[in-house]
Amino acid sequence: MASPINKKILKHAAELARIELNAREEDRLLKDILNILAYFKELQELDTTGTEAAGIPKEQNQSLRADNASEGTNHGAGVESFPETNDGFLKVPAVFERNNDEP
Amino acid sequence: MTNLNKLTIKEFRDGLRAKRFSARETTEACFRAIKEGDKKLGAFLSTNEEPALETAKSVDASLARGEELPELAGVPLAVKDNIAIQGLPATAGSRILEFYKAPYDASVVTKLKEQRAVFLGKTNLDEFAMGSSTENSAYQFTRNPYDPKRVPGGSSGGSAVAVAADLALAALGSETNGSVRQPAGFCGIVGLNPTYGSVSRSGLIAMASSMDKIGPLTKTVEDAALLFRNITGHDPMDATSVPSHYNRDELLNFPHEKIRTMTIGLPKEYFATNLDEKIDNAIDSVIKRFESAGITIKTISLPHTKYALACYYIIMPAEVSANLARYDGIRYARIKSANVDHGNIKLKELYLKQRGLGFGSEAKRRIILGTFVLSSGYYDAYYKKAQQVRALVRKDFEDAFKEVDVILAPTSPTVPFAIGERTADPLAMYLADIFMSPSSLAGLPGISIPVRSSAPYSPENLPIGFQLIGKHFRESDILGLGQYYEKS
Repeated sequence: MASPINKKILKHAAELARIELNAREEDRLLKDILNILAYFKELQELDTTGTEAAGIPKEQNQSLRADNASEGTNHGAGVESFPETNDGFLKVPAVFERNNDEP
Repeated sequence: MTNLNKLTIKEFRDGLRAKRFSARETTEACFRAIKEGDKKLGAFLSTNEEPALETAKSVDASLARGEELPELAGVPLAVKDNIAIQGLPATAGSRILEFYKAPYDASVVTKLKEQRAVFLGKTNLDEFAMGSSTENSAYQFTRNPYDPKRVPGGSSGGSAVAVAADLALAALGSETNGSVRQPAGFCGIVGLNPTYGSVSRSGLIAMASSMDKIGPLTKTVEDAALLFRNITGHDPMDATSVPSHYNRDELLNFPHEKIRTMTIGLPKEYFATNLDEKIDNAIDSVIKRFESAGITIKTISLPHTKYALACYYIIMPAEVSANLARYDGIRYARIKSANVDHGNIKLKELYLKQRGLGFGSEAKRRIILGTFVLSSGYYDAYYKKAQQVRALVRKDFEDAFKEVDVILAPTSPTVPFAIGERTADPLAMYLADIFMSPSSLAGLPGISIPVRSSAPYSPENLPIGFQLIGKHFRESDILGLGQYYEKS
């Protein structure tokens, strides 16, 4: 695989991850990630045809709890730790932009 | 009685019941040690003095009334700052959670509160447990107690130093890939990384959920067994925790006669790299000690070892990118410099600012790398490939454990490195955990134990650890062999 990542792809991934980067951070990250991806190259040399990807070990598959309704335990405590609340509800900045042309 | 902070859990437990000292005196001794020593060491991010003393006094009062006490009653413990204790900070070493207070107890903390253990405070770590030196903390450096110019290892560096420097009798840490074992090795103490699923992670701030575990850091293997057997168990709050497979007595008192019938495997791939000569010699001395006890030593092969670290550094960031999406400035703490004017800021802008300013560089690197390896067009080449390699790494161990009971290897390829030595090169930092990744990917239990040293630790004689890796849910084997080594 030729240079798998460039500035444009990096910026796109950062935006998807909702992380604002300054120009210096972008340069540094690109360099670091190129180094790390180069290190991953040795995985490509390994033939994994027919190998099933690792899933959750079977011991961990048996511990789902019964599908019964139960009461949550810490609703109040969770609300107290929200940065901003209104009447016990979580306060969130506007999601949509207001369009002033419309009535 | 002086120096109560130097006690092991076992010594404390026996002395308390024999009324040689009180729980309050022991807790006070720990806080004295913290006040005198921690300015230089930087192990604690916050302390919990009054509630700790209250618990200790209530244990003393129960004892005076002749009540039966739980095994860990009054034991002063340090807790890594990514494990929730209700009402206390849980920063995870990150600016993004600077103002966050945990609204509930982690399940391990609930268990330890039932044991009436004492919580001294919260310890420093690499941000979100991402690092091998504790240098990635947003708050402070933690220094190796035997050479202040060197790192204590990480990410549970604060917990390791608290135990090694006798600021606490024992501590809890967390491990995804070496974060308990490696700092234990660097600080000359014991660190147990339990089988994936044996200890509930409810209330542990998640990093990479398919590998995160909580484990004890202690002064002795016996103490690790005492702490582990009281935090293990199924918990409906963590769907990956499994019903207990353990015989409580065997965990602490492994039968001596069984030790001699065991076979230890030495994976040749771990010894093929240019191992530091000091480490080579130290591991040799451990092998000889086991050999002289009549234990069979056998060279084995774990052929996919060299792929494990790269494999880990694909799977882990992928999981990080999902787990750290929640620190968006809405539900948890909000950083002050996001400078939000509620009337004006839009949601996406708040996300970008909160996360751009709140995360340190290693967290950003891992989130963005994880986002990239999961993205359309790259998923098969990286993430899927890594999960296939992970299956091969697991298979290596399955095969090896048909021949041997336990695997022995160095904990780290080097002695503790200097502060600043590896911070400029992320890959150099990642390589510090090269002996950790295979067993982490396979979810196996491992313990790091200090190699015995004839001279006290110093900058010229730094601690070296060896690790024992056991079969799934066979902590008894590695704790048993470890106790044998410690006491022989």
